[in-house]
Amino acid sequence: MTDGATLPNLTPALEDYLETVLRLVADTGFARVRDIADARQVRPASVSPAMRRLEELGMIRYERREYVALTDAGADAARRVYSRHRVLRRFFGQFLGLPADVAEADACTAEHSLSAATLDRLVQLFEYMEVCPEGRTHLRHFQQCARVNDGASCCTDDCPVVQDLAERKPTMSIADLRPGQSGRVRQIEGQGAIRQRLLDMGLLPDTIIELARVAPAGDPLWIKTQGFELALRRNEASSVLVEVQ
Amino acid sequence: MTTALQNDNTAVQPLRVLLAGNPNSGKTSLFNAMTGSHHKVANYPGVTVERREGRWRGAGRDILVRDLPGTYSLLPLSPEERVARDEILGGDHDVVVVVIDATLLRRGLMFLLQVIEHGGNAVLCLNMSDEAHRAGQQIDLVWLEELLGIPVVETAAHRGEGLGELHAVLVGAKPRPRPGLSPEIAAILGGPVALADPDVARMQRLATAADAVIARTLVHAARPDARRWTRRLDAVLAHRTFGLPIFLAAMYAVFWVTFTLGAAPMDWIDAGFAGLGELVVRFWPGSPDSPLLSLVVDGIIAGVGGVVIFLPNIVLLFLCLSLLEDTGYMARAAYLMDRVLSRVGLHGKSFLPLVTGFGCSIPGIMATRTIENERDRLATMMVLPLMSCGARLPIWLLIIPALFPQAWQAPMMWGVYMFGVALALGLALLLRGTLLKGEPAPFVLELPPYRLPTAASVFGRMAERSAVYLRKAGTVILAISIVLWALSTYPRKPQYTVDAEVAAGAAHTPAEIDGMRAAEALRWSAAGRIGQAIEPLFRPLGYDWRIVTASLGAFAAKEVFVSQMSIVYALGDDGDTGDIGRRLRADYSPVTGLSLIVFLLVGTPCMATIAVTRRESGSWRWALLQFFGLTSLAYGLAFVVTSVGGLLS
Repeated sequence: MTDGATLPNLTPALEDYLETVLRLVADTGFARVRDIADARQVRPASVSPAMRRLEELGMIRYERREYVALTDAGADAARRVYSRHRVLRRFFGQFLGLPADVAEADACTAEHSLSAATLDRLVQLFEYMEVCPEGRTHLRHFQQCARVNDGASCCTDDCPVVQDLAERKPTMSIADLRPGQSGRVRQIEGQGAIRQRLLDMGLLPDTIIELARVAPAGDPLWIKTQGFELALRRNEASSVLVEVQ
Repeated sequence: MTTALQNDNTAVQPLRVLLAGNPNSGKTSLFNAMTGSHHKVANYPGVTVERREGRWRGAGRDILVRDLPGTYSLLPLSPEERVARDEILGGDHDVVVVVIDATLLRRGLMFLLQVIEHGGNAVLCLNMSDEAHRAGQQIDLVWLEELLGIPVVETAAHRGEGLGELHAVLVGAKPRPRPGLSPEIAAILGGPVALADPDVARMQRLATAADAVIARTLVHAARPDARRWTRRLDAVLAHRTFGLPIFLAAMYAVFWVTFTLGAAPMDWIDAGFAGLGELVVRFWPGSPDSPLLSLVVDGIIAGVGGVVIFLPNIVLLFLCLSLLEDTGYMARAAYLMDRVLSRVGLHGKSFLPLVTGFGCSIPGIMATRTIENERDRLATMMVLPLMSCGARLPIWLLIIPALFPQAWQAPMMWGVYMFGVALALGLALLLRGTLLKGEPAPFVLELPPYRLPTAASVFGRMAERSAVYLRKAGTVILAISIVLWALSTYPRKPQYTVDAEVAAGAAHTPAEIDGMRAAEALRWSAAGRIGQAIEPLFRPLGYDWRIVTASLGAFAAKEVFVSQMSIVYALGDDGDTGDIGRRLRADYSPVTGLSLIVFLLVGTPCMATIAVTRRESGSWRWALLQFFGLTSLAYGLAFVVTSVGGLLS
């Protein structure tokens, strides 16, 4: 997808036809001109010129009369168009929280009108949102706000969801958790060696930590995080602030 | 990235490989599997960090492997981590094999990415892959190689799996993937950052990149219940209430095994050395009065035999300690004990060196290297000789059965060890409040899952440690036995007073005559004279010149006390070492015995201990303080025992 959204000599309409053929072959195993016409809601007569053009471009070939198959180049091009379509549909649907039919329709329109550079940047944004822990947090907040406020700005202090979250999930140190309780790291307050060691261990903002148990006499603490287990002394553990889960 | 991996430099030069990775990633078992017994251990110049290097022979080209100390990042917090960082960033190698615990991908990858980021020519070794597979984890290795741009090999070092492939990859027999991080991962990292900068943003970028790699390559995640056996065991073994009693019981079991199971082989060794002595006497070609025969039988065989006899105990103790370490229970013990240890200013990590000190003070002192904070480390080192070492065990086994009733013996033995521990903790508190004031080091202790130890690892470690003891018996103690035999044999007394008495008509049995002659001969010898000269110094403790003479030997090496005693008495009764106990009972009271135990437990750490403390602390100041401090304390405590005991009886 990184090497461009527009394919040489393909008009938006031809791209749509390629995509349709790809989906029909994937769904039913074959694509006849009649089926293509049905899927695109046009008359079979108007499908034929497009098919001829695609055949000239080496994108499709006729297996038998009426039966259309994608060439390697055609399949490749169709898949690229289709993945662009999927990215946009997911963006409109999952990320912006729009209804499925709106998302589908907008994806169909936008996939032809956006430049390659814009599409690439969008893909990067999605990945960032999905992979970066901060991105995920922001996305979650945005979606909650969007649903509740319906269009109002999400960054204002009067967002009820944000306030509600802040009230329900107080920040405290892991030393104050009860055994069995877990929290999401907000901040590591400590200084010097202990702070660095905890960061090295991957105790970073948004990491989930569970207080498993405490030793006899209440110290040290036994915590579970990221699939491993650590013992920390109480006064050192108190520098790790978490949001109770 | 250089191309040292490619086989373009196929000269006779071996490939130089570093093993780097997190602690507990199985790096050392990988090193052992690679090099077998072909490795040597030295120190890095100027610091007290072990440098383990070995040769891995295999098809194509030999590999020179160096095992680096475990490290969590390239930002060092301890001398070990500094060494690891310098080696990785330095140029004295061709390849860095980064060893990752396959069950802890995120943390391992964060370290690997730092190495790659700083230009390391890395190979990723996913160790403990058997454990990961059992937990249901599957990784797309082809994709992983593609994303990281380095070769990836799965191994299970403790079972020897994957080593052939690792060797092939290292010598370049297998084709390599495209070099360099894939652009998407490199973009997340955003280029290397100054190493002096442990900020959250940098670590977060590493974590994000590691997460991205995992998200793209993890075909099947490990089942969440993969650690369920560890969790069940910990629910009991690390229990808030039951944990400590179980731990103390485990320690008691270790000592029970050491002493009870050791008894039978000790008898065999005893009989063996006695038989050897008799054989030598029977087939001796020269005169039976030859000084050389006396040297061999009374000096060498009796002296070394008196030390080797305790080998079963030492082997069993080290076996138990290796088992506890390899199963992962030691980390739980450090967790349970940290509260007690931190009260006296020590560290949970002080626990392992202190327990090792039960075997021998020398590896114990060397093990203090794992403690990051210098003050914690020094305090641990200084009090470590109070842990009753394996070499002192022979002394207790000689004195306790000889001077105390049967029923008291086991509790006495337990008591000796516990007294040493209590005193060590008290002294540590004193040191941390005076000479070694300061904040304690951070305590971040990893609790690895319980693992079934492999026989190779447990027995290998046991053999290695026992060999140190035997080597000592074969060298230092052999030499000292000869010197002490000479000191206690020469000069010879020309004629005995007892002979004159017998001639004058005094009634003595032949055995009595032999004993009295021996006593006279000893008193006349150089050792006897030295002992008598400084005897007044020890008279307040109730010790005679024989104990003083043997205690001098104990400074050379603790177990020499026993061989010295056995020579002293063997000279009187023709090499029959079994009678020493009876002789002791005749000569000393239980109070003197107790006082002697206290004196030898607390005082005069052996020469080797002083030398190692000097090396590990980096100054004679601490070594001499250790020697004179502990010896004065021992004198004081022994005096109290003798005085109080004298009043009571």
